[in-house]
Amino acid sequence: MIAIEHLTKRYRKTVAVDDLDLVIQPGVVTGFLGPNGSGKSTTMRVIMGLDRPTRGRATVNGRPYHDLRDPLREVGALLEAKAVNPGRSARNHLRALAASNKIPFSRVDEVLEFVGLASVATKRVGDFSLGMGQRLGIAAALLGDPGVLLFDEPVNGLDPEGIRWIRDLFRSLAAEGRTVFVSSHLMSEMAVTADQIIVIGKGHLITQGSVGDLTAAAKGSVVVRGNDRERLERALRAAGATVEVANDEALRVGGLSAEAVGQLAFDHGVVLFELTPERASLEEVYMALTAGAVEYGSGAS
Amino acid sequence: MSAHPTLASVVRSEWIKFRSVRSTIMGVAITFVLTIGIGALITASIRTHWTSHPEAHLGFDPVTTSLGGTLFAQFAVGVIGALFVTSEYSSGSIRATLAATPRRVEVATAKLVVLVVSLLLVSEVAVLVTFLMGQAIYSGVVPTASLSNPTVLRAVLFGGLYLTLLGVVGMALGWLLRQSAACISVFTSLILVLPIVTFLLPSSWQNAIGRFEPSTLGQSMESVSPPAHAFGAGGALVVLTLYAVVLMVAAATVLTRRDA
Repeated sequence: MIAIEHLTKRYRKTVAVDDLDLVIQPGVVTGFLGPNGSGKSTTMRVIMGLDRPTRGRATVNGRPYHDLRDPLREVGALLEAKAVNPGRSARNHLRALAASNKIPFSRVDEVLEFVGLASVATKRVGDFSLGMGQRLGIAAALLGDPGVLLFDEPVNGLDPEGIRWIRDLFRSLAAEGRTVFVSSHLMSEMAVTADQIIVIGKGHLITQGSVGDLTAAAKGSVVVRGNDRERLERALRAAGATVEVANDEALRVGGLSAEAVGQLAFDHGVVLFELTPERASLEEVYMALTAGAVEYGSGAS
Repeated sequence: MSAHPTLASVVRSEWIKFRSVRSTIMGVAITFVLTIGIGALITASIRTHWTSHPEAHLGFDPVTTSLGGTLFAQFAVGVIGALFVTSEYSSGSIRATLAATPRRVEVATAKLVVLVVSLLLVSEVAVLVTFLMGQAIYSGVVPTASLSNPTVLRAVLFGGLYLTLLGVVGMALGWLLRQSAACISVFTSLILVLPIVTFLLPSSWQNAIGRFEPSTLGQSMESVSPPAHAFGAGGALVVLTLYAVVLMVAAATVLTRRDA
């Protein structure tokens, strides 16, 4: 379990994380979403004891990272792809990490085999592709067989086969009862990978919940078209709905279910030609949630 | 399950890192080539011109002259020390290192142990080989010195200590500056530029300041009779060790306080 309490991290003048409270539970894959620069990586670095919080704290299994006796056996992390001396071989990189925590070298060959890098174990990491670098980072995270795992943007640079592989990996790690905390700036990726989703923007928590909760909370709309647009519009507004004119004389109604709109039309004697409920996709929910929190937006979007 | 991580296991980890990159192997090779190669050039040149330059015979020191290559090798060891740290920052592997060993002082200590033991071995072998080779080249024409003389033995062994301590200075700069280029500039300035600046000062200042410069300390440590206005060999060793210790303490302080 990872707990973040009132975490604030300020770099000179920029506030990267602002009073964040989170609990990341074991047994599920928790997706950590937010636009670029929203504070995801900073939060992960603080959890790993790499950056010192300005206020608040982060704990792993109830203790600050610095107090862990066997760090690699408790927490594994992929924070940056190819963060390895380019002149070193994959095996030597992992052996150095293993030695520091008294993990037997046989485990190094095991994880290399597991991530599919056994055949290039003695090759210089500098010659690795980004995807191979990600696999090496995953091997490093799994080295100590830890119960808590953090992955910062793990799918970057992976090919489709690799993306499927990593998704299955996260699911199986969570199924074994581990805490799996995965950051991404892509909702589409998290929608198919994560069970729980945490959305942050500009260092603030925007929302959290299961994938189902988030889509359910997203207010859908109803597109309705009838023989008397104005009468229908008046009736809908009187019922407290938000109404905007869509194309083809149709109305887009928010705040009422399709059933309620149909009933209202019937009550006011409007003949309906079309009544279509529209549910926002998770992607749209995410875009709407983070609209105000995008640091480098393209303006036109 | 095996025992918890210890300083010994972190030292083992750092030793794997130290020996598994080409830059270390190159650095060690260059240290040998510069110390021994330039030593051979200097001593051979002195032997050739010995009889035609009788004015140079007065105060001639067969020990210092044979160890002249260390003046060049000091840059190689400084770079070995600096790169051992800065390569972790340039590649980003420092994060994996500090995640594996969150007690950062242990990381700094382990790197220091690996560097000092390795450089001590490399430097002492290099200066001993150079000295013996130099005396063999001098033999028959130029006066020679022998390791059976305790003062000569001290000068040669201190030559190895000088190189080792400069490697530690390079490492401390690595922790403080984190960038290879910045480290190498500062290190070179300390060794090369500082004496030039001092040279422009009034002579009373030169004498007061000059003896504290790393390069002057090195000369004192490697000579049988230290130059005027300089520290004796033992005093120079103490001052240089003090520099290395102060810089490493500063490095460890910065490492524990700054974000990785």
